[in-house]
Amino acid sequence: MVTGAWICLLSPLAAAGLITLAGTRITRRGAGYLATASCFVAFGGAIASFAGLLGRDGEEREVVSTAWTWLSAGSYRSGFEILVDPLSVLMMLIVSGVGGLIVAYSLGYMDRDDEERRYFAYMALFVFSMLLLVQGGNLLLLLAGWGMVGLSSYLLIGYWHERPSAIAAAKKAFVMNAIGDATMALAFFLLIKEGNSLEFGILGGEYSSTTANLIALGLLGGAVAKSAQLPLQTWLPDAMEGPTPVSALIHAATMVTAGVYLIVRTHPIFEQAPAIADLAAGLGAGTLLLAGLIALVQVDIKRVIAYSTMSQIGYMFLGVGLGAYANGMFHLITHAFFKALLFMAAGIVIHALADEQDIRRMGGLRQLMPRTYLAFFIGSLALVGIFPFAGFFSKDSILAAAMDAGAYGYILWTAGLIGTFLTGLYTFRLLYLVFGGEPSPFVREHFHAPRRDLVGISMAVPVAILAVLSVIGGWIQWAPLWHPIETWLETVAEPLVTPASWMDWTTSAIALLLGGAGWLVAWLLYSAHTYQVPRFAFAQRVLEHKFYFDELYDAVFYRPTVRIAKAFYRWIENPLIAGGTTELGDETRDLGGLVARLQTGLLRTYALAIASSVAVLAIVFVAVK
Amino acid sequence: MNGPGIAWYLAVAGFLFGTGALGVLLRRNPLIVLLSLEIMLNGANLALISFARLHGGHDGQIFALAVMAVAASEVVVGLGLIVALNRKRIPLDVDRLSSLRG
Amino acid sequence: MVAAFACIASAVAVVSFRNPFYSALALIGNLASLAVLFLLLSAEFVAAAQVLVYAGAVMVMFLFVIAYIGPRSDSPWAGGPSWQTVGAVLAGAALLVEIIVVIGLKAGGRLADSADVRESFGSPAEIGRLFLTDHLLAFEITSIVLLVAAIGGVILGAHSRRAADEVPPL
Repeated sequence: MVTGAWICLLSPLAAAGLITLAGTRITRRGAGYLATASCFVAFGGAIASFAGLLGRDGEEREVVSTAWTWLSAGSYRSGFEILVDPLSVLMMLIVSGVGGLIVAYSLGYMDRDDEERRYFAYMALFVFSMLLLVQGGNLLLLLAGWGMVGLSSYLLIGYWHERPSAIAAAKKAFVMNAIGDATMALAFFLLIKEGNSLEFGILGGEYSSTTANLIALGLLGGAVAKSAQLPLQTWLPDAMEGPTPVSALIHAATMVTAGVYLIVRTHPIFEQAPAIADLAAGLGAGTLLLAGLIALVQVDIKRVIAYSTMSQIGYMFLGVGLGAYANGMFHLITHAFFKALLFMAAGIVIHALADEQDIRRMGGLRQLMPRTYLAFFIGSLALVGIFPFAGFFSKDSILAAAMDAGAYGYILWTAGLIGTFLTGLYTFRLLYLVFGGEPSPFVREHFHAPRRDLVGISMAVPVAILAVLSVIGGWIQWAPLWHPIETWLETVAEPLVTPASWMDWTTSAIALLLGGAGWLVAWLLYSAHTYQVPRFAFAQRVLEHKFYFDELYDAVFYRPTVRIAKAFYRWIENPLIAGGTTELGDETRDLGGLVARLQTGLLRTYALAIASSVAVLAIVFVAVK
Repeated sequence: MNGPGIAWYLAVAGFLFGTGALGVLLRRNPLIVLLSLEIMLNGANLALISFARLHGGHDGQIFALAVMAVAASEVVVGLGLIVALNRKRIPLDVDRLSSLRG
Repeated sequence: MVAAFACIASAVAVVSFRNPFYSALALIGNLASLAVLFLLLSAEFVAAAQVLVYAGAVMVMFLFVIAYIGPRSDSPWAGGPSWQTVGAVLAGAALLVEIIVVIGLKAGGRLADSADVRESFGSPAEIGRLFLTDHLLAFEITSIVLLVAAIGGVILGAHSRRAADEVPPL
């Protein structure tokens, strides 16, 4: 079982290394096969670990396997160890499973791209990094995986590096992630100072309220940055510059969920800092509303889905912030399924329309791509949370848990329900605009059907698998009736809130109603065209500018920094450093000139020098002796 | 045996040395400079012999003879230089021989 | 006493005369007085060598060259005291003072006595014997130095061949 975990972790790394070293000696498609195979091997290892854990009782479901002592300084010790416990195995399964499917999909999507090998090497690297993050046995390895995941994200967003917009987006993502990394590092410093270790166990130690709050705040900062929540959410929509499978894997299913994982993993500290936990939940609620509103006016198919991701992760934060860890993780799982599905289906559409992503030019694809339409439809139903699809079970369980958390919880509950309405609205808006009605002139001109060869199949099969999972995946846990996930995760994280049965039913009913209402409104506006889409100029402008967050950050952070940098250059660097070195050179030359004047070339001068030196030396000798 | 003590001899030697040094530093004709150099050497010789006499050892005399030999050779070379200079019509003025000026 | 005075006087004369010829003559006087002083110090061989070598050979060479070059005079004290002159005088005076002071300080009263010497202190036989036994190395090296000087003198004095080798045009 432990071996399985090690295989799971290392096989993508091996693939990445092999692809890199092989260079042009393997074919492009060969690199793709290698990467895909490694992900499935990893999945196999994850299954093995899962099976191994199943065979054990509750308390024994935590295995730490150390490879070697990585860092040893004074009384502090960190080993290169992986942790196999219910939570990590859950994440392993998701990452390697969904990851494998997406890498397989990439075989078709990235076919005939010039630098396929680089792409697959990066993807394999990413899978490895994410696995390291979730399997890390101590916070230091988690941080290592955290950083590498950020790196892979940067590399993959900027994959088409000839596009300046892609490069800018990659930098933006990396910088914002770095802010989170910094806060996390500060939290770790505090932990080391207080507990002298970065093992997971010390998170449960006793800390003063201030310390606990600071540590939790630092960890929350990292989670917020990585998961694109308020206030560090602006990088996610720009990250859609990367290839669609990248968006599916990194920015829907796995990396952005790392923040949720972090909070669950470090929940003892959050339980000691309830204010910060509430803050997390509040940020989640705020984000889900914000993202839902912005999604209403987006015209790029991928950006709509990106804001949807932001919104759903807001739900997860809401859940884990309130202490409903199992529910949050459950939603993470189902979200991985249907969000990856949506992205991949969107990818098929984009491919069919020669890389067009503007939904205003699309329309009527339902008749031309019926199977893709079906997949997208299933994904939408799951996202909105319509019974019996996956999202219904997971999202509603979170909201129900909010009812158990006091007055604040009720506020969040309301926000979540409003979010459900918005989700229905923007999701089906997208569906109708892309697939509904008659084919638009653009479509008529540029459409070409997906082929039936390997490329087409490689894209179709994972989509189909995920569609099935979106249908049945939710049935794993239906809170009032059976909840294996909660039981499974109990040894790792006890939920703080347990909704009563009536709460579950009430929430589900209201959520269903609101989701359906959103669907209805979308249908009325965009499909049946019964009413005109209302245009509120001011709201439209605000939403289109994404609530002016980008402008705000530009004014507050970017411009002053540039101004300070320029001032430093002008006042400090140029005169002091550049000028200093120039002056140093000049003065050395002048000094040399001065010394050169001693070389008069006259015999008498030299003789005088000798005589005077002898005189002086004689005096010195006499004096000393 | 000796009227004055060795100190007086040494004083003379010192004076010779100083005078020779003045000559080296102040005269411009290289010939005179060489002559002054000889004076200095002789002063040193006198000091050597005086000390030899003081301690009763012979080393000072030997050294003085060696110094004399060296002085002779140096005069040979110096005079050769001066003759060569003269042949090339270079002015015999130490102040003018300054091609090594930095 | 007389010899000492003569020594000093001739030294000053060497430095002061304008005409190099006169300076050379003054040096001869200086060397003679020194020989007398050596005799007074019971260093007979050295005294004899001084007269023979120095006064005889070296000074004669000097006089030859001076005659060859012709009369040239320069005045050392002309043009007022430049900083070089001042410096030189200072250095020379300092040296003089130092030597006296040092010797006076260090030796204390010891300088008043002088060791008893044997009869053969300065005799040629004694010195010859020393040269060949205790100070053999110095002897040999001195001979080499003299050889090198002779060669150098020949080279320096040789006429340059190049000018004579220029083939005149037909």
